[in-house]
Amino acid sequence: MSDAEPLLAVEDLRTVFHTDREEIHAVDGVSFEIRAGETVGLVGESGSGKSVTARSILGLVDSPGAIEEGSIRYRGEELTDDSWDRHRGDIAIVFQDPGSALNPVYTVGNQIREALKIHQDLRGAAARDRAVELLEDVGIPDAATRVGEYPHQLSGGMQQRAVIAMALACDPDLLVCDEPTTALDVTIQAQILDLLAELQREEDLAILFITHDMGVIEDATDRVNVIYAGEVVERAPTDALFENPQHPYTRALLRSIPGRTPPDETLPTIEGEVPTPTGPATVCRFAPRCPDAFGACVEVHPDQQDVSEGGDDRSAACLLHDDRYPNEMGTGDGTDGGGPDERSVAAAAENTNYGAVDHGGAPPETGVAGDVNGQGAAGGVDDVGDEGGGEI
Amino acid sequence: MAGATSDRERASTVRPTGSTALVWAGAGVALFALEAGALATFLTGMVADLFAFVPPLGPAQPAVATLAEWANAAQSAAREVPTLLSRETIPNGGYWNGRRWVGTFLGLEPALAWAVRVALVYGYAFACAGWAILGYRLYRREIRPTDWSPRDDVVDRFRSHTWGKFGLLVVFMFVVMAVFAPALGPTTVEQNMRESYSHEFSYWNSDAGEVQTTLVGQANLQSQSTGTSSRVMPFTYDDYNRYHPFGTLPTGRDLFTFIATGSRISLIIGVLSVGLSALLAASLALVAAYYRGRVDLGMVLLSDAVMAMPQLLLLIMLTQVLAETWIGGIYSGAFVLALIFAGTGWTYMWRSVRGPALQVAQRQWVDAARSFGQKPRVIMRRHMLPYITGYLLIYGSMTLGGAIIAIAGLSFLGLGVSPPTPEWGRAINLGQDYVTTGSWHISLIPGLLITIVVTGFNALGDGVRDAIDPQSDSAGGAAAGRGGGA
Repeated sequence: MSDAEPLLAVEDLRTVFHTDREEIHAVDGVSFEIRAGETVGLVGESGSGKSVTARSILGLVDSPGAIEEGSIRYRGEELTDDSWDRHRGDIAIVFQDPGSALNPVYTVGNQIREALKIHQDLRGAAARDRAVELLEDVGIPDAATRVGEYPHQLSGGMQQRAVIAMALACDPDLLVCDEPTTALDVTIQAQILDLLAELQREEDLAILFITHDMGVIEDATDRVNVIYAGEVVERAPTDALFENPQHPYTRALLRSIPGRTPPDETLPTIEGEVPTPTGPATVCRFAPRCPDAFGACVEVHPDQQDVSEGGDDRSAACLLHDDRYPNEMGTGDGTDGGGPDERSVAAAAENTNYGAVDHGGAPPETGVAGDVNGQGAAGGVDDVGDEGGGEI
Repeated sequence: MAGATSDRERASTVRPTGSTALVWAGAGVALFALEAGALATFLTGMVADLFAFVPPLGPAQPAVATLAEWANAAQSAAREVPTLLSRETIPNGGYWNGRRWVGTFLGLEPALAWAVRVALVYGYAFACAGWAILGYRLYRREIRPTDWSPRDDVVDRFRSHTWGKFGLLVVFMFVVMAVFAPALGPTTVEQNMRESYSHEFSYWNSDAGEVQTTLVGQANLQSQSTGTSSRVMPFTYDDYNRYHPFGTLPTGRDLFTFIATGSRISLIIGVLSVGLSALLAASLALVAAYYRGRVDLGMVLLSDAVMAMPQLLLLIMLTQVLAETWIGGIYSGAFVLALIFAGTGWTYMWRSVRGPALQVAQRQWVDAARSFGQKPRVIMRRHMLPYITGYLLIYGSMTLGGAIIAIAGLSFLGLGVSPPTPEWGRAINLGQDYVTTGSWHISLIPGLLITIVVTGFNALGDGVRDAIDPQSDSAGGAAAGRGGGA
C-alpha cells in the first residue's frame, strides 16, 4: 500500500478461544497496518474483539485462547513466540483501567524502574532520575515526590499518566492504547489525549488507538478501522470516514454519537448486540442488525471492497459495494409491501444458521431476497444511493 | 501482659522526637546483650552439629574435621559468656541443710527460684516483642516516607481482632517455651532423663537429719507417679527437695522439663513441614496460575494423586523404612517426619492458594509486566506472590496446629519421634494407664496444652484471615471458588 515498510502489519489475524462448550472466534481475519508516527484507530462495540486484537499484537493471548492464523509483522519481521521476546518494549501497551494496571503494593517509581531495568539497563540512582524525568514528561507535577508514592495516592488521571510513563520507559516505537480514556472523566480524557498527541510529536511514536468512542477517534486518529464481531468492516482515513461512511454499521455508529443528533430528537441506537462468533464467518455478521441487508447478506460472506475516493485508500466489507451481488432493490419491491422488518432477517438467519434458507418451499435465494427487499427499501439503502457509495 | 506493654508504648510514642529511633536502637542492643551468650552458643552449636552431620566424603574430610573442631571450640567459648536467663545465673537446684536453702538463687526455696527464672524468661520475651512492636510503629510514623501502605490496614484490623490476638499470645508463649526450653525446666533432660545415673545431687534426708547425696536415677525411682498412693502431683516437692511444677512421670522424671523440651520438637516439625509445604504449594500454585491450561491440569492430577495416598500408612511405612538410614537419625527422626508431612500436606495448601493465584494472574499489572518483557519467574515473585502470602499465612497457621496434633498422635501410637526424645504425645501415652487414678496429671496436662496450643494456632489463622480479607466469611469463599473454576 505504501512505499515504505509499515511499522506493524497485521494480516488476516485469527484469534480463537477454545472453551469447553464452544470455539469463540474473537478476532476473525483482521488486517491493518500502522506506519511510523501515525495514529490508527480501532473502533467497535463492546465484545467486538478490539482488546483481543491488542493482546494478540502484544503476544498476551493466554490459554484457552490462541492465534490460529495470520501474521503480525513488526518492521517486516514476523512476530513469533521467540521474536516477541526480542521486540518486547518496542510495542508497549496502555490499559483501560490505570487503577488495575499498576500493582498496588509497589510505588509508582518502583514499577517504572522495573521497566527501565529491563529495557535501558538502568539501576539505582540513574533509574530513579530517569523515572522522575519520565513522570515529568507525562505531565505529573512534583514528580520527585510522586515517584515514591503508591498508586492509590494518585488520582485516576495521574495514574493513567504514570501508566503511560511506564510504557514510555520501554522506549517503544508503537504504543497500543486499549481504551486509555474510558475509565476517566471527560476533562481528564481530553488531557490524556493531548498528552498522547504531544508524546507522538516529540517521540515519533506510532499509536494504535482502541476505543468504542467515535468522538475520541475523530479527535485522535489519522486512520480508522471499524471492527465488528471480530472482523474489520470498514477502514478509511478518519476525515473521510466521518464525512462519508460506506458501511451500514459505520453509519449506524456515527448516527449514535450524542453530539450529532439535534438535542430534541431521540438518539438513534443499533438494536441488538454483537453476536459471539462461534464459528468461521460464512455470512455477514452484521446482517441481522443491518437496516440495509438484502438476500445475499445471509448467504455470502462479504469481502473487503475497495471504495477509495480520490486519493483516499479505503475499503468496506459490505455486499452493497460488491458488484457481484447486485442489490436487487426495487425489483421485488411492492410484492411484500411494507414487509417485515429486519427481525425477519435475523430470524431467518438464526433458523438457517446462516446456511441454506428454507422459506415456504420457494427457492431459498428468491425467498429471502423478497423478504428483505421490502425492508431494504424502507431502510437506509436509499442513503447509499444518495451518497453514491454503492456505485463503486 | 501484652496489653500493658503496648499501652506503655503508645504513651511513649505519642510525641515522637528525633532521638526516639536512637533510644529504640539502644534498647535493642541492651536486650540483645542480655542473651548474646545464649545466642552465640546456639549458633555455634548449630554449626558444630551441621559439621557433625556432614556425611564422610573423601577429600574434604580433614577440612571438615578441622572446621568441626573450631565450631566446637567456639561453642564452648560461647558457653562461658554469662547470660541473664540461664540456670547458672538463677539456680533453682539446691538442698535444705536444716537451717536454710543452699545453692538456690538468693537462698530462696527452689519453687520460688524456679518461678523467678520463668517470670524473667517470659518478661524478657515480652520485652523483646514490645521492642519489635515499638520499632514497627516508629518505622510507620517517622521513618517510612509514605503515610499509608495497603499492609497498614491489615495490621490495624488484626489489632482489633481479640480472638486473633489471643491466638497470637498463645502461639507466642508456645514459641517462647520452645526457644527457652533448657532455661525453663526445673532440671535438664540430660541430668534428669538421659544420664540420670551419672549425675549426683545433695538433699536433706529428714529421717537422718542430715544432708546426703544420691544419684538422680535413684531419686527418680522414689518419685514415681504410678497411681494414688505413690505420686508427685503438680506444684509439689518430692522427697528429695526437688520441685516439680507439673508433677512427675510414671518413671519419676520431671514432667515440666519433659514438656518444655517436647515443645521444641513439635515446633520444629510443625514449622519445617508447614514451611516446606508452603514453599511447594506457593511455587506450584504460581506456576499453575501463570501458565494455566495443561500445566494447571497436570498439577491438579498430581495433587489428586498425592491426596489419594493414605497418609497414615505412608507415614508408618516410611518411618520404618528410613529408621536405620542417616536421614532417619536426624533429630530423632523428626526431620523425616517433617519431610513426610510436607510431601503429603502441600496438596491441601496448594488447592487453597491456587484460586487466589489464578485470580491475581488475571490482573492487568501481570499483563503489563509481561508486555514490557519481564521474566515469568520475576512476575510470579514480584507481582503475584505478595497476593497469596496472606493465604499462605492463614493456611500455614491452621495446618501447623494439625501438624502438632499429628505428631502427638503418632507418638501416642508409639510411632514417630523415637523414645528418649521428649514428645507431648508420648507423655499422654505414658499416663494413660493412670488417668483414673490419683496420677491423672500425667495425661491431662500435655493433653490440655496440645488443645490450647492448637486452638491458639487456629485462632491466629482466623485473625490473620479476617485481617487480610474482611469479607472472607462470605466473599472469600466465593471468590476462591470463582478463581478455581476459571
